[in-house]
Amino acid sequence: MNLSPSQWAALLPLIIPALGACLIPLMALDKDQVTEKWIRAVMYGTALLAVGASFWYLTDLWLSGSQPSFYQLRMDRLAQFTGIFVLVAAAMTILQSWDHFHQEGWVKGETLALLLFSVVGMMLFAATSHFVVLFLGLELFSIPLYALVGTVRARTESAEGGMKYFLTGAVASSCFLMGGVLIYGLSGTLDLTAAAFTLKAQGLALDPLVLAGAALMLVGFLFKVSAVPFHQWTPDAYEASPHPIAGFMSVATKGVAIIALLRIFPGSLAPLGAVGVKMQSVVAVLAVATLVVGNLTALVQTNVKRMLAYSSISHAGYLLLGFVAGTPAAYAGMLYYLVIYLSMNMGAFGLLTAFGLVGEQTTFDDLRGLGWKRPAMGVAAAIIMLSLAGIPPMGGFYGKYMIFRELVSTGHVGMAILGVLASLVSAYYYLRFLVALFLQAPSAEAERLASDRPAIHAPLAGATVLVAAAIVLAGGFLQTFLADGFARRALAEGLGLIR
Amino acid sequence: MTWLTSHPLTFLVFAPTLLGLLILVLPHALGRLSRMLGFMGALAVFALSLSWLLGRHEGAVLLTERAPWFTLVGLPVDYALTVDGLNLWLVILTTFLVPLTMLGTWNSIKDRIGTFAALFLLLETGMLGALMAQDLFFFYLFWEAMLIPMYFMIGVWGGDERRYAANKFFLYTLGGSLLWLVALLYLANKAGGFNPVLMGQAASLMPFSVQCWLFIAFAVAFAIKVPLFPLHTWLPDAHVQAPTAGSVILAGVLLKLGGYGFIRFAIPMFPAAAMHYAKPIAILSVIAIVYGALVAMVQRDIKKLVAYSSVSHMGFVMLGLASFTVIGTQGAMLQMLNHGISTGALFLLVGMLYDRAHTRMIADFGGVAVKMPVFTTFFLIVTLSSIGLPLTNGFVGEFWILNGTFLSGFSWGRLYACLATSGVLLGAVYMLWMFKRVFWGPENKDEDSGTHHLHSDLNAREIAVMLPLVVLILWMGVHPRTFVAVSEAPVAALLQDAKAPEPRTFVLKPAVHEAAPAHEGAHATEGHAAEPAAPEVHR
Repeated sequence: MNLSPSQWAALLPLIIPALGACLIPLMALDKDQVTEKWIRAVMYGTALLAVGASFWYLTDLWLSGSQPSFYQLRMDRLAQFTGIFVLVAAAMTILQSWDHFHQEGWVKGETLALLLFSVVGMMLFAATSHFVVLFLGLELFSIPLYALVGTVRARTESAEGGMKYFLTGAVASSCFLMGGVLIYGLSGTLDLTAAAFTLKAQGLALDPLVLAGAALMLVGFLFKVSAVPFHQWTPDAYEASPHPIAGFMSVATKGVAIIALLRIFPGSLAPLGAVGVKMQSVVAVLAVATLVVGNLTALVQTNVKRMLAYSSISHAGYLLLGFVAGTPAAYAGMLYYLVIYLSMNMGAFGLLTAFGLVGEQTTFDDLRGLGWKRPAMGVAAAIIMLSLAGIPPMGGFYGKYMIFRELVSTGHVGMAILGVLASLVSAYYYLRFLVALFLQAPSAEAERLASDRPAIHAPLAGATVLVAAAIVLAGGFLQTFLADGFARRALAEGLGLIR
Repeated sequence: MTWLTSHPLTFLVFAPTLLGLLILVLPHALGRLSRMLGFMGALAVFALSLSWLLGRHEGAVLLTERAPWFTLVGLPVDYALTVDGLNLWLVILTTFLVPLTMLGTWNSIKDRIGTFAALFLLLETGMLGALMAQDLFFFYLFWEAMLIPMYFMIGVWGGDERRYAANKFFLYTLGGSLLWLVALLYLANKAGGFNPVLMGQAASLMPFSVQCWLFIAFAVAFAIKVPLFPLHTWLPDAHVQAPTAGSVILAGVLLKLGGYGFIRFAIPMFPAAAMHYAKPIAILSVIAIVYGALVAMVQRDIKKLVAYSSVSHMGFVMLGLASFTVIGTQGAMLQMLNHGISTGALFLLVGMLYDRAHTRMIADFGGVAVKMPVFTTFFLIVTLSSIGLPLTNGFVGEFWILNGTFLSGFSWGRLYACLATSGVLLGAVYMLWMFKRVFWGPENKDEDSGTHHLHSDLNAREIAVMLPLVVLILWMGVHPRTFVAVSEAPVAALLQDAKAPEPRTFVLKPAVHEAAPAHEGAHATEGHAAEPAAPEVHR
């Protein structure tokens, strides 16, 4: 089969990480998995190289403005945006995991391979409106993640979390599949855009089966977004998984699910206007529930990772509010929010690695006084936490600002009020992180233990945290560049939503 | 130099931040150098603000900078800084208090002094920016950003309950301003931007009930900061737990921003709604005045007493605003400055006492006058100013406010003025009673008492801090016109739209121009019996 250059261009960003993913296991072949340090370095180098090359290729595509496609795989602006988003998250994850897995004493090559496969799946998932390709992408990024959650097999909780995530995830995937089957059965086509037109032409827009199909697909998306009531896996899975993987899941999974949601619901299924409206009202109810449950549950957590898990649930709520507003500007706001959210959450989980908290030692008490011991990390933590809470002048504020502004302008003032109240509640538990870092002295016991242990050395994780904090801060001052130059263009030229 | 001459306000606002960030990256070991650097920088900002802002031709706007900043989701945001009659003296008060407080609390902070100085400078940027910003979004940014350094100042260097107090301060203020943000967005959506003038016009076209809701959202955000009863509960905690420097700035500037917000934004943007709610605001103000004073009376901690006296004093500011008369509003403007000076000075003095005795309990003292005569003299002057003795600043402000309220055409004006006057009386009671117990009487001979630990009177540095404050107290008391002349025109313009019914300002207008307070008393009494002179009667 001869591929045209344009087809290659669409495929290459996916092929490069996949190739890397295939190469890495070859390097981790030794039976005992006690790889030499230089081999480990080469594995990580390869993974970074694969991610970097793909990133370079995508930014090149973005700058050239071309939107190549390979049959159902459309590398349009939105897919390029997703690709860049996922690859940045993956690069940060790889850097952080070098430090984290060394702290855990569990450095395995397969982790990297799985991560790269997951990256490929994510890029595929957000680059198509063809149902089968969509499902392929969904499974390709989910299955490696199930394994990644349980990757540190030395810890029993790890396997438990992985299992939980797998079982619930499998149910969600089958729901998604069933939804697609229903729509396919009625329309006779697997391309969702074409299906929408066919169904409209047949006057089946409000057929209960179509609604059921759309709703089941929505369940699949919402599960990945971890919206209430499909959120129960989140805290367990995050707690079980290594910090960088938890960060990656919270950012990339949620991000691609939101983007794919935008591509399918306001995008492909636009001709079925009534379905979109129905789904919007469902999402409105769930977004409110997500905000309430996520924030209130986060309040009472003593474990930082569980707190971050519930915080990521509540952020799903804010993102879904943008879907409720349903204007192109709100969608742009969601993408902008995702960019900032990427740096906030990768930064927050990276902090745990940078502070050298391993295993179960991730309670607030373990953080005490660390801000003063590591001032650079402390300042970065302050920026990241205040941004998560949505305090200006950090970038997180602008994400919420854009979404709330669209909510108000579309008449959802009550939702906006609920949103700001939720972020008021969230300020409390983010402040708790800072309280532990700066306002509480470490207990005598912890001091003694710390003096026994060797000094924590996590330069790569520390660097990613600083980069993340810099992006968060930049988001507060270069908001036009990010929102108009990046997020809005992705929607306008990729999805054609903004004209 | 050309950039500086065209952007003086930008420099004033952001120079402290630059210096603060520089100090933040200096190593810990250089804490003493950082503190000196911070102080010199703050002093330079004060000197520059004086030379740039004072002595200009007194037009409507003294200095202004405006440029489009960014447009997000269709709403343009302007980079707009202005100094005019409404904020000129508040800006100078801020730049004045920051170096003064640094000097006054030179040795109070023992650890991480560099970081403290850096946060202080960041806070100065937040305050100056909020005072000067003329675009509501821009204002909101500073308003919120101000919380962050203050949070850490209370939380890290505060007293035993500092974490609770810091969180309460942060969340309370954030809660008010988040709801206000929704109102802002609603209004901006209609007005197409955050320019207060455009937003005011858009608001005037809305149904009255919507205007009222929006005004409430604005008012609650500002009233929390003031703080107006019943939204004041964060204040005693924050004040008592904050380190001295934090308390001074909190009382001196942060509370002012609430009152300033009313004058600058809430009242001019929603004149009708503001008038509609004049009575409830006045009721709450009177409650704040009397309740604050009564609670202050029973405090055992001097700092807490001063904190509650703040509630009472800021109640006067709100009452003056609610009177919707020129004299009342001018009185509120002056009272804000007064409170910044007097309460700031009180907190500094309490801090000096605490640094020596390590207690602030009234019962631990007694006979301090014998041990620290200079300190006692300063404390007495400041106390009298806080009570509002004629010839001190406190008198003029409270008198104008009560006068304005009494003479406003509101049916409740006279009654509330009389009730509020009791607050002045109570003020004298709690301040003098506290003064008597702490300073007069026989020396407290108890080994553990605070008096026992007082070994030294004020040193040269502390006297240098107090002298300018005392000079200002007397200056504002004798010649308040220096400080209110510039705000006359803007206040009059403000009251064009929102004016108390049957304005009787024809009696009062000359009064505002009078130099000495004694004359105003005379003017006022011409028409209206002897009641307005009530505050004098009590003394």
